[in-house]
Amino acid sequence: MPDFETIYLTYSPQIFRVCMGYVNDHEQAKDLTQETFVSVWRNLSGFRNESKISTWIFRIATNNCLRAIEINKRTVKVELPVNLPALQEESDEEKLAFLYRAIGELEEMERIIISLVLEDLPQVEIADIVGLSAVNTRVKIHRIKEKLAKKFRSNGQFE
Amino acid sequence: MNDIKAIWQTARADNLPSAAEMLRIVKQFRNKKLRNKTWSIVVAGVGIIVSIITVSLTPNLMLSTKAGAACVIAACIVLANTNIRSIKRFIDLKDCSNREFISFLEQTRRNQLHYHQKTQVAGMVLSFTGMLLYLYEFVHKSLALSLVFYTLAIGWILFMWFYQRPRSFKKQSKKLNETIEKFEKIADQIK
Repeated sequence: MPDFETIYLTYSPQIFRVCMGYVNDHEQAKDLTQETFVSVWRNLSGFRNESKISTWIFRIATNNCLRAIEINKRTVKVELPVNLPALQEESDEEKLAFLYRAIGELEEMERIIISLVLEDLPQVEIADIVGLSAVNTRVKIHRIKEKLAKKFRSNGQFE
Repeated sequence: MNDIKAIWQTARADNLPSAAEMLRIVKQFRNKKLRNKTWSIVVAGVGIIVSIITVSLTPNLMLSTKAGAACVIAACIVLANTNIRSIKRFIDLKDCSNREFISFLEQTRRNQLHYHQKTQVAGMVLSFTGMLLYLYEFVHKSLALSLVFYTLAIGWILFMWFYQRPRSFKKQSKKLNETIEKFEKIADQIK
């Protein structure tokens, strides 16, 4: 069993990106990441390797994100620009901001699933985190990718 | 998709606390939480014990006063118990998927909608009865005092029961129903 410090260093950037994909708010994503590791630290001694440690941590993080609904900390939804001509030299920050906005337009579970896909988690693990069958997860991932690609294409990117 | 993944990976996570800072944060968090919990338990416990001792040791107290104090203590226990049970549900929750978690939250809030308000009513009835009984010993010898204090007490009870309670229940129900609705919407997304 790795110690807390190793776990934190290994997973915190991934957890932060997943939270950021869900909330599209830097400070809130940072808070959610911290809350996740507070839970990890508190429950680490009780973790019995029944699932992979990464599955366990991603479950805590995504459940925290879902619970954020209760405290009305909602994603700031920004409408995507329609028919905006593609920028010739878009910076990395602008591309990333566009990606977050595109993800922010998806439904809650779609946001979680695509964030896990973008973190390169295997589909079986994503199914385990979300609680869907492997087949259902595959279908959903396919649909979400299509939606996301459509948003990028309609903005003139990646053609 | 690989292009999107490449963009996703450019997110900077370097302003997260270092591992040492995070350890400090989690320890502080635990201490703060424990301190708050311990203090509230100590304060509630001392309050109840002092009331019981005062009432049982004070000589020649009328039965109505003792019954009044018992009602107020029972009200505190009812309300504390509801909150402790609600917290315990979350503590007992083991590692679970998003789907299980959403259904747990939905059920918890539904329970809250049904039972929380019932226990609040029980708590209010007990504390109002306790207050009326407790007052009796101090005012029963003077008709004027009885009239003034009981008019004030009953007026306050009527205000709390017919104005404050429905208002706060309506507000609570609205908030809980909105939350349940959001969870239902998310649960539909994981079907």
